Parts: sequence; structure tokens; C-alpha cells
Amino acid sequence: MLRAIGFLGFIFLYIPLILLMAYSFNAGDRASLWVGFSTKWYFVLFENKELLKAAGISMRVAFFSATIATFLGVIAAFVLTRNKRFRGKVLIDGMVTSPLVMPEIITGFSMLILFISMQKFIGWPANRGMTTIILAHSTFCMAYVTVIIRSRLVDMDSSLEEAAQDLGAHPIFVFFQVTLPVISPAIVAGWLLAFTLSLDDAVIVQFTSGAGSTTLPAKIYSQVRQGVTPEYNALATLIIVIVGIAIITAMQIMNRTQRMHHV
Amino acid sequence: MNATDLRPWRDPSQKPLLQIKSVTKKFSDFVAVDDVSLDIYAGELFCLLGGSGCGKSTLLRMLAGFEEATEGQILLDGEDLSGVAPHERPTNMMFQSYALFPHMSVLKNVMYGLVHGGMTKAEAETTAMEMLKLVKLEKFIKRKPHQLSGGQRQRVALARALVKKPRLLLLDEPLGALDKKLREETQFELIRIQETLGVTFVVVTHDQEEAMTLASRIGVMNDGYIEQIGEPREIYEFPKSKFVANFIGDVNLFEGEMIVDEPDRAAVLNDSVGEIAITHGVSGTLGQELTIAVRPEKLEISKKKSAKMLNSAKGVVEDIAYLGSQSVYHVRLDSGKLVKAFRANRVREAEDDLTWEDRVVVGWDGSSGVVLSQ
Repeated sequence: MLRAIGFLGFIFLYIPLILLMAYSFNAGDRASLWVGFSTKWYFVLFENKELLKAAGISMRVAFFSATIATFLGVIAAFVLTRNKRFRGKVLIDGMVTSPLVMPEIITGFSMLILFISMQKFIGWPANRGMTTIILAHSTFCMAYVTVIIRSRLVDMDSSLEEAAQDLGAHPIFVFFQVTLPVISPAIVAGWLLAFTLSLDDAVIVQFTSGAGSTTLPAKIYSQVRQGVTPEYNALATLIIVIVGIAIITAMQIMNRTQRMHHV
Repeated sequence: MNATDLRPWRDPSQKPLLQIKSVTKKFSDFVAVDDVSLDIYAGELFCLLGGSGCGKSTLLRMLAGFEEATEGQILLDGEDLSGVAPHERPTNMMFQSYALFPHMSVLKNVMYGLVHGGMTKAEAETTAMEMLKLVKLEKFIKRKPHQLSGGQRQRVALARALVKKPRLLLLDEPLGALDKKLREETQFELIRIQETLGVTFVVVTHDQEEAMTLASRIGVMNDGYIEQIGEPREIYEFPKSKFVANFIGDVNLFEGEMIVDEPDRAAVLNDSVGEIAITHGVSGTLGQELTIAVRPEKLEISKKKSAKMLNSAKGVVEDIAYLGSQSVYHVRLDSGKLVKAFRANRVREAEDDLTWEDRVVVGWDGSSGVVLSQ
């Protein structure tokens, strides 16, 4: 009985994805009417320069945003866990993680206002494009990265850092030689999550992108209005496969290191 | 030629290596360590013994530099350690969790401190290998910590902490995570290594047997205070307080008012035993409340009162625990008080004359009890 319910739940969750992937092999030109098996839409996809350009922009934005967010997230998490007490800790703690609950539309709108005033007063960024998307994405992804890395730092046996210090290592060396390697699985996980969040965003990007910097979700969203061909199913299938492989790899890395640390 | 006395604390001309002077540590309102003064001499294996939360670990962390004393001074070789960061102190610590770096091999773990002490990689490797031989781990140098057994990990932690030849090695429950059999073997191993290297050890433990085996001297801690400092034998045979008598080994306590106070003898009136005779002088005043502490192995138990029993009481055997080398008898005295007596099982096939529900006499002579005023 319980297994049957579980099975139904899984079907409910995955049937849309499975259908989407199946229709990418549709020979017809509609995404909802099955005609026959074909891989032609994959070839059409690779001919669509505009769509590929959008995918390229999305990848680059996601890569840089995730990297910046991870860098800042590690620093924020470290300061918030390892400094016992400083002025305004509670406030900063809350502010770092508030983008988690902030509606994206508000984040996007506030970013737009910020960029417009920055342009007016300091002349940078001159116009909206990849730079502004990356800045906006780094900001909201950093909150997620901070939460992941902070929980790992709290779990980590603090005597590891004390031991390194006790053996004569300056705190800077302790951070790079002990803390960073020990929390590296969380850093990888945080980076991957930030990458997916950025890749996924279709709302904030509406406010922060400019001409010639349309990301993939924005592009798909605008195309849907003109009717979707199975080309998009093919694109989605490729993304699902790539993301799936990335997640499985990340989970395996996490599991292996987890075993190492919990001896 | 006289053998040198290995007990420098008995020689007032000796200078201690470590001086702890009226050190207090407060965590906001909570006093973790309360006005502790302590001298530790070079070459000692000093044990800080106490239950959880007694402040022993906090004291150790202050020696390592992880906590700053709220008041008082810590001097190592006459130099004040306050304000000296942990990585600049000539002390090393072995952590209770071992704190081995999980991403480094055994060899890299042991080399870590040497490289940060300014050695080249080649020198550090040679030195680390020597230390790993001493702890018999030379075959495991390439393993990662998670590929070792608990005992092996313990030895890596010890090697890593010792390899820099610290002036003072601090050990936090060094044997706490090992099982009983391994712990007993490792105790003697620890003493051997300490004697080979001549490093001064300060060990924190909650295990009184471990402290008795390892220590040159023991400091018994309770509630942030040091209750008593002394050699293991001194602590066991001459406890200064009820807490120490109770904490170290088993003890039967008989309370009462002092009724005889003469230079060479005294007596205390107790509900269970009656007049307890003491065959030496006691510093106290008539009418003072005193406690007589008698160790179970010093309490004789038999069916008839023997001549040696200057003090005795009648009772019934309520419980017997056969432990192999000895048996423990729980005797309910007629007053209702329960006492414990040990008897060595010297004969293999003794028809044991004492059994459950037997009426017996327990007693001791006039010098086996310890008179405690607090």
C-alpha cells in the first residue's frame, strides 16, 4: 500500500519530465502531438544560432555568478561561525540569509533601481547586460551558499583547526590547509546549487538584462508565446541529462568525503 | 652514590617548569576555574582528575592558549604566557577527538607541525618517521585516518603532538575513546614513551584508575577548585576531604562527634559503630563533627570478631559480587547503614564460609581510618 502511494507520487513528479523528453524524439512539429520517432529536432537545435547563443550566455552567467557567490559565501559563513561575537552579528546574520525568502520579483526590481542609480551617479555599469545579471545573481545565490557552508562549518570538529594552530600554523595557513579542504564538499555543493539557481532564473533576469544579453530561460519564455516546437524539448532533454550527471557526481563526491569524516 | 630523587616536588630548591598562579576563568557569570594554583616540574606526568564540568579541560585549554585566563598568571619556565597565541606557544596538545586531519596521510599529519616549525620537507619526513617508529606505526604512514583503527588513530595523535618535542605536552582524555583492554595496555605504552622522550605531560582524565596508573602526581578537581594535589598513594591513603575520598576508589564514611581528643589518641561517636577509636592524635576540638573514612579493603569481615578489630559493628551480608581476584561484600549493619568490604580470593577452592544472609562482624583497627574534617 505504502509502496503504491510512493510509486504514484513518483509518477506524479516525473511524468511531465518524461513526456517532455519523449516528445523531443517526435517526428512531427508540435510538442504535443505524437507522429513518429525521429532525432531531427536535435539537429535543428544545433542550427538555431540564437538559441545556442542564449544558452552560452546562460552558462557564462551561471559560471561567474556561482563562482562569485561561492567566494563571498565562504567568507560570510566563516565570519559568522568562527567569530564568537562582534557588533551587529545578529543583524548581519539575518541580512545575509534574507534573500532566501525575498520574492524574486522584489530582488529583481530593487536591483534594477540600484543599477539605474549607479549608472547615473558613478557611470558604472554603463548599461544593463551580462555584468548586471551576474551581479544580481551573485547576490541572491550567495545567501544559499552561505547557508550550506555555514552548516558544514558548524558540524566540523573545531578541534581540527585548534590542532593545526597548536602545531604552529598561523591562522591563515589553518584556513587554507585545514578548514578549506575539510569543507570542500560543501563548497562544491554550494557552487553547484548556485550554478543551477542562476541557470534557472527567469524573473530577476527580466529586470537586469539588456539588449543582446538574453539568457536561455528568458529566451524560452518569450518563444513560448509564438508556439513551441520539439526543438525546445530537445534542448530541455539535454539540460536535464547534463544537470542529472552533475548532481549524481556531486552526490558521490559528498558521500565519499562524508564517510571519510565520520569515522 | 645516591640515586637522584625522581620527585622534584619534594625538593624546595627545585624550580617548577610550569607555574599556575591563582588562575580564574569565567564564562560570563559561570566560574569554570576558580583560583587554581599549581606547580608542575620538568619530567612529570601530572594528571588533572575530576568529573565532567569540574574545569579540568578549561584549565588545559588555558595552558594551550585556546582560552585566556580571566585572572591570574601562567608561567612556563618563568615566562608569562598570557597573550601568547596558541601557534606561538612551546606546548602541544593531544585532543580527545584526536583531531587528525582527515585529508592528510598519517605521515603528513605528523609532519604538519614540523613543517610549520621551519623544517624542510626532507628533515620533517625523517623526524616524523622516527616518531612513527616509536609508536610502531611505520607501516601505516600512507594511510588516511579513516583507514586506521581507534588505537592506531590514538597513536598518530600522540606522535603528531610529540614530534615537535614540546616543553609541555597537554593530553585531553588521551585514552578515553579506547576499549578497556586496549586502554590498560596503552597506559604503560604512554609511560614508556614519556620516559623515553623526557617530555613533561599534563593529562586530563575523569578515570581515577587511569590517573593512578599514569601519574607522578594527581590534582583532584571539583567545581573549578583543586581539592588536593599529591602522589597517587597520598591521594588514596590520605585524602584531605570527603570528596577526594569518595572520588578516588570506594570508601565507607562514618560520621560523628569527637568525644576524646588526646595527643596520641582520639575517638568519635558514631550511630552505627559506637565509639570509633583512633590510635593517633587528631587536629580538632571536642564536639567537632568529623568523618572517618575506611577503604573497603581495610575493612575486615568475618563471622566472629577478631582481635585486630578495634572498631566493629554487626550486620547481615546483603549482597556478594564475585570479581575473580576479589569479592565485594555489601553488609547491612544493624543500624541500617550499608558498608562495603573487599576480600581477596587467595585460595582457589575455598569453601566460602560467608554467604547471603549470614550474620557477620565488620571491623578495622585504630589506624586504618582516615579522619576528615571537611
